[in-house]
This record gives sequence, C-alpha cells and structure tokens, in this order.
Amino acid sequence: MKKWDFSRWAGLSIAAIVSLAGGLLWFAVAAKVQDGGGATTSEGLLLGLWSVLYDTQAPSLSAMLAAVALALLLAAGIAIIERRITARYRRSTDKTSTPLAPKIIMAATRGVFAGPITITVLIPAHNEEASLPDTLDSLLSQSQPPDRVIVVADNCTDGTEHIAAARGVEVFRSVENVNKKAGALNQALAMLLPGQGDNDVVMIMDADTQLDDGFLAAAASRFANDRALMAVGGLFYGEPGHGLIGQFQRNEYIRYSRELKRRRGRVFVLTGTASLFRAAGLRAVAAARGGALPGIHGDVYDTAALTEDNELTIALKSLGALVTSPSECTVVTELMPTWRTLWNQRLRWQRGALENLGAYGVKPQTVRYWAQQLGIGYGVIALFGYLSLLLVMALSLDSWVWFPFWLGIGAVFTLERVVTVWRGGWRARGLAVLLIPELCFDMFLDFVYLKGIFDSAVGRRAAWTHLQHEVQPDVEEVGR
Amino acid sequence: MSASLPSGILLPEAVLYSDWFAVWATFVAINTLMYAALSVAKMLPKIYPSDWIRRRNRRTETRGIYPDAETVRSE
Repeated sequence: MKKWDFSRWAGLSIAAIVSLAGGLLWFAVAAKVQDGGGATTSEGLLLGLWSVLYDTQAPSLSAMLAAVALALLLAAGIAIIERRITARYRRSTDKTSTPLAPKIIMAATRGVFAGPITITVLIPAHNEEASLPDTLDSLLSQSQPPDRVIVVADNCTDGTEHIAAARGVEVFRSVENVNKKAGALNQALAMLLPGQGDNDVVMIMDADTQLDDGFLAAAASRFANDRALMAVGGLFYGEPGHGLIGQFQRNEYIRYSRELKRRRGRVFVLTGTASLFRAAGLRAVAAARGGALPGIHGDVYDTAALTEDNELTIALKSLGALVTSPSECTVVTELMPTWRTLWNQRLRWQRGALENLGAYGVKPQTVRYWAQQLGIGYGVIALFGYLSLLLVMALSLDSWVWFPFWLGIGAVFTLERVVTVWRGGWRARGLAVLLIPELCFDMFLDFVYLKGIFDSAVGRRAAWTHLQHEVQPDVEEVGR
Repeated sequence: MSASLPSGILLPEAVLYSDWFAVWATFVAINTLMYAALSVAKMLPKIYPSDWIRRRNRRTETRGIYPDAETVRSE
C-alpha cells in the first residue's frame, strides 16, 4: 500500500469521529430544547435576549455543570491513559517488542563502564550559508562543547561547506541523496553509528537553530545520571523580530514550552531543531525498521515521513525508550516571516502528523497523538460554531447588547491567554490580552488543519518546503 | 422597557427566537463552557498526586553510567 493511503485513512477517521461528536451533542441539545419549550420573552428586552443566549430552560444549570465536568474528565482521562501506557512500557521486560525499555538497557549495561559521555553533533545543511555561522558559534561556545561536529552538506551549491571548514568542523557530503534531510542524515548516521559506544550520544540539530548556553552540559549530565535514558529533546522558542506574525509564533512556542514543563519533560516530539540520542537507541530503531517500525531496514530515519522528528519520537517510544525534554535545554529557532511560509510549514507539520498516525495506526504509544488530533478537530467545530453564532446575532440586532455572564467567560479566556505567555514579557502579554488577534491566529491554524485533512483525504501528495535564507551582506559591502 | 423589538441589520430579529437558534446557542454555550473549564485548568498550578506517595521501588541501584557510584534517589 502506498503511504498516502494510510494518511487518507487517518485524516478521514479523525474528520468522521469529530463530526460524530459534534453531531451527537447537537442532537442532544435539540432534543432537550424541544422538550423544555422555547424561551419566554415576557421578561423584557435584556432578560428576553438573556434567556435566548443563556437559555435557562433548555440547558439547565445541571447541563452546564455536566459540560464542565465532561471536559475535565476527558482531559484527565487522556492524561491517566497516557501515564498508564508510559508506565507499562517503562516496566516492560520484553526484549523483542521493547528492546529499549529501561529495565532491558539497565540489565545490559550493569556493572560496565563504557567511558564518559561524548557528544557528536550532526547538522544537516542544504544551502545554509546565511544561518550556519551563528549555529556553529552557539555550539562551539557552549560551556561543555561537543566532542565532534559534522556538517552534513546535502546538495549544497553555496558556501556552506566553506563556512564549516573555516570554523574547523568536519564536513560530510551526502552522495546521490534524493531523500532530503532524512536521506542525508541516514547516510551520515550509517557512517557514524557503528563506531559508537554505549555512552556516545549523537545530537541532530538544524542549521538555523542556536543553542542556549548550558544546553549540552545539562543534556550530558542527564545521560550520565541515567544510562537507560535514550533521548533528550530541546525546548524551542522563537527568535526575536518579524513583527506581529513573529509574536504570534513566539506566544505559541512559549505556551508549548510551559505545557512541557507542566508535563515534567514528558515529550510530544523530540524536536528536529535540536535533540540528542544515545547511539544504541538509534541503532535499535534502524534495526527495527522494515519490521516492527515503518521504513527501510537499516535506516534511522523513515524517508517517507514528512515530519521526521515526530516519526522518530514515535519510533523510539514504540521500542520502549525513555525520553525526556528538560527545561534547561532550550534552543532558539527561526520563525516563519510571512503568512505564506507559515502556511506551508504548518501544512507540512499537519500532513506529517497525519501520515505518521496512519503509518503506526492506533497503538498504545500513539493514543496521545490521536487524542491531540481529535482535540484540534473538535476545536475547529467549536470555534467556527461560536464565531458564526456571533455573526448571525450581530446581523439580527441593530444595537449592541452586553451579556454579563458571557463577558465573564470571556475574561476567563483572556486571563488564560495572558497567564500562559507571562514569561514572554510585555509584548507577549500585550498581544494575549487583546484576545481577538490570537483568536484570528487560531482560525488561521484551523484552516491549515482543515486543508491538511482535506489534502490527505483526496490523496494529494504532500511536498517539502524549504525557507530560503537571504545572505546578509558583509559590512564592507554595505559601507561601499 | 419597550415591548416592540427593533429589527436587525440584515436578518429579522425573529431569528434569535427560533428553535434552531436556541439549539445552536446552547450547543455553542456548552462548548464554550467546556473550553472555559480547560482554560481554568491550564491556568492553575498543576498538582502531581504521585509526589505524595512514597514508593518503595524507586532507584534501588544506581542508574548512572558509573557502576561504583552510590545510588541517587530520584526526586
């Protein structure tokens, strides 16, 4: 079966389940409204409208409370299921299905000292001469610098290799690679991994990303303190600049980091921007491909996956690996400067996520990811239902009417927006407190989500997009 | 308060008193309250009930890479 067949199945299932959930609630409400009769208008203008919008007869207080309870139970239920699944995999002793489970790794390395932790960094680069210098500087100036840095030059036609050589790092040139980043990394890893020991760690980082100081020292200490730990992921936040669209993305990343901290580092995605892997873990993934895992036997990365970092995370988790994303390991990543590039980036993420779910199916380790997709899907229904209701109401009234109850609810949403980006400073809080702009940004992301589901359902091939960096002119040139 | 209601900009105000609008408004109201509850949950400090339980099976041996190191108890 071709890969888009899987993704078609995943996208359509999500659309169907979400629509069913929305439909069921709608019919439940309709039955109740017919049962209870319409609202009375004898209470005057405000109360008449009040009872339409805060219908005291159809959705009783108990129905409202039930809605709140349902939401909290759903959220708690998903969290509990995820915890149980993680715990089950962590305690697994089945070498065949979970060769990376902590107990198995611990038993294999008990009483043996395989040397101190070493870090080899691989930086896949396709014409990255503009951003590579900053990336290398952030890496080489770490309090604990890496032991080895290899720039994986993939079909470069610019000065990428020259910049790498000038900074004294190694260059690995991909050979006849047609599989983009994943293909280039597979070639480099095939060269590197066989010579790596139990305490050797490979870091994969993007050429447009800068590590904050202390990243490598913190990661190395985690690996040294836990020999069962297979991967450490970076927490990314957005670079400065790019005006309003930049601030939207920064706010989004701040909320994501906050969420991960609240999860105590339990990872969703070992980000491709910067993550470290124990070599043994990557070797186990390569060995399992073509069998327990999708992809070609011997490849670390599945070249069919659009979002290879998300796929590798699910692959490692499927083999029982212990992974974490500590709050000390932060990286600055580039932001999309235009709505067009942001649209393309997010569409690729969305298609990638759907295809990975399709490739893995419904398994214990993918339950959390399915729930996430369903959650976003229901969010689309809820948001569009809400906005269209407001529109119809605005068009049916010629004067503005205030609804204290709903204003109060609006205040709760505003507060949540502000609290969750508090760490981002006044600009972040300023944007959040306005509520409406972020609501519009959410709508933009919802359209991307819908396009992703639609494209996967009709079997349209997804393609990689690559942001072309502009080379900053030299100071001398500017002065001339 | 006036008993006669003004008409809307584009749609008749009677729309707001129709059954389907009541269903729609209720549907949106329930959704909104669900998301409001989740928002409150996200804002409040998170509690970790597992911290309250002292488990016996934690770190009975060192998990570090140095076999001679003493056992470091987690958390």
